[in-house]
Amino acid sequence: MNNPLIRVEKIVKKYHRGAEELTVLNGLNLNIEDGEFIALMGPSGSGKTTLLNLIAGIDRPTSGHVFVRTDDISSMSESGLAEWRSRHIGFIFQTYNLIPVLTAYENVELPLLLTPLGGAERRKHVEIALYIVGLADRMSHYPSQLSGGQEQRVAIARAIVTDPTLLIADEPTGDLDAKSAEEVLVLLERLNIEFKKTIVMVTHDPKAAARARRLVRLEKGILIEENHMDGHSSSGLTDGINVSGISAKSE
Amino acid sequence: MKFLSLIFKNVFRKKTRTILTIGSIILPLLIICIMGSFLKALDAPDPAETRGMFRIVTRHKVGFTNDLPISYVERIRQLDGALAVTTFDWFGGTYIDNSARNFFARFAVEPETFLQVFDDAKVTRGSIDDWMSDRAGALVGEDLMKKYGWRMGDQIVLVGDIYPVALQLTIRTVYGVSYGGSDGLFFNRKYLEEALPSFEGTVGTIWTKCRDAEAANRLSDEIDRIFENSPYPTITESEKAFQMGFVSMLGNVKLLITSLGIIIVLVIILIAANTMALSARERVREIAVLRTLGFTRRMILVLILGESLTLALIGGFLGLGGFILGLKPFKASLMDTPISGFASAIMLFPEVLLVGLGVTVLVGLLSGLGPAIRASQRPITEGLRHMG
Repeated sequence: MNNPLIRVEKIVKKYHRGAEELTVLNGLNLNIEDGEFIALMGPSGSGKTTLLNLIAGIDRPTSGHVFVRTDDISSMSESGLAEWRSRHIGFIFQTYNLIPVLTAYENVELPLLLTPLGGAERRKHVEIALYIVGLADRMSHYPSQLSGGQEQRVAIARAIVTDPTLLIADEPTGDLDAKSAEEVLVLLERLNIEFKKTIVMVTHDPKAAARARRLVRLEKGILIEENHMDGHSSSGLTDGINVSGISAKSE
Repeated sequence: MKFLSLIFKNVFRKKTRTILTIGSIILPLLIICIMGSFLKALDAPDPAETRGMFRIVTRHKVGFTNDLPISYVERIRQLDGALAVTTFDWFGGTYIDNSARNFFARFAVEPETFLQVFDDAKVTRGSIDDWMSDRAGALVGEDLMKKYGWRMGDQIVLVGDIYPVALQLTIRTVYGVSYGGSDGLFFNRKYLEEALPSFEGTVGTIWTKCRDAEAANRLSDEIDRIFENSPYPTITESEKAFQMGFVSMLGNVKLLITSLGIIIVLVIILIAANTMALSARERVREIAVLRTLGFTRRMILVLILGESLTLALIGGFLGLGGFILGLKPFKASLMDTPISGFASAIMLFPEVLLVGLGVTVLVGLLSGLGPAIRASQRPITEGLRHMG
């Protein structure tokens, strides 16, 4: 706990709805260690998605700071923050948010277009990412030709293809049936354990939260409970492979 | 370059809408190019003047329909710098019917001096003597001969519409010119005077071939000054300006065409902007996702402008290509109309193509600018919440 990957310090986030001022986060402090898999839970309006957005650098706090390693992302410029996100953040959304006119391959390739990698190198990275999520044979399929679970796995491949520091997942199983949700959770767990990815996940689903190593509960913008979970399930992890610098080690 | 595929895929996301928008760029662009060519043709240098033939035309100051005394011809002939002088009288009349297809120039002229002034026209069949020796003889242009399938010696009847007389003319001589059209019919003014004594002693217009440009300019002023205080004051102008006078009878044609062109450009911009706005609005969430991946505001701006520019350029190139391929048949279709003279001056002006390309780029940039700015400035969290 000495050198947290993410340090949220006295974060306050207020929104204005007409003349009314809404305080969504109220002086919240949170540390997240490198390699953690943390679940944020709480009722609607508790501020969990707002906290996720602030950690991901897609929103700015009213006051307070978010440090990722040594970077104070709350004080970065708009373009600096965009560049930082491209290197450090992988997003997984509830509704997948794939680009419908692009194939699975092209969707996964999107974040790599922002890197100096050449076409051949990009191809290699995309193929490995799709292999990890088990969709190497669906590269040329469009989102409309995939099931919900497959779409979410493509979205996960897109999130990991640049080997980001942090994976941000906002209700990643919220739109999935039980079987697909389980597959996605197993995959996230594998990314955390096998590839040492730090994951911050917002969820309403206790089953999904149970996969995390730590559970944080929020209510009315305040952190009310932190639980370190024991005995999260292991998932038959495979031998080490290297993906975009993601080192895979057996537990 | 690596974003081109993304741009193309987004442009053709809704194929029907894209094709309709491209169509709405192609057709107005074709019209702009045609109007631009017409404007350029109006502004084109006098073809006779560029060949060293400096002709000026003298007419009554009041208008084309007022005649001048025939004595003016001799006065002008005496002036220094006037190499040859001839007369023109419009007869009109009907050949076959009054349709535009059967409309062509029919003038009573002086055979003795006609080809001295219009020495860029060359006799291709028969001779000047053949024409002069037959008072009812006609000099006919090669194009007109071809159009009607006439042969030497054929008789042409022009039934007067303004004047109560029918002229029976015989084709004696044929002329051709190395540029433009040879589609006129000319006959001896003496024959007209015999048929219509009211033509005696008057003349419609007087055409003077001048020694050089300086003489043409000087004589234009000098002639008008000589007749300034007479009962028949004159206006003398270059051949080109004289022809432009017919066009200006329609009003300020250049202003009209330019105004229409600007309106058409604005309409295309609005149509394309509507398409781009719809396209950007449908993708608010996608654009927010791109920004979460690290696309900067500037990149989003460039991507959307790239889409609108691609859309406009596809329409623009198809429009310009259509114009290039369609110009010849378009000109041919105008040859049987009263504006055939101007139609023959219409050609593939590089300036018009450049203007067409400029309009295309302008449409592309302006139509995409608003949607691009809105899309790039929208907060990511707001975009991700967007339903639609």
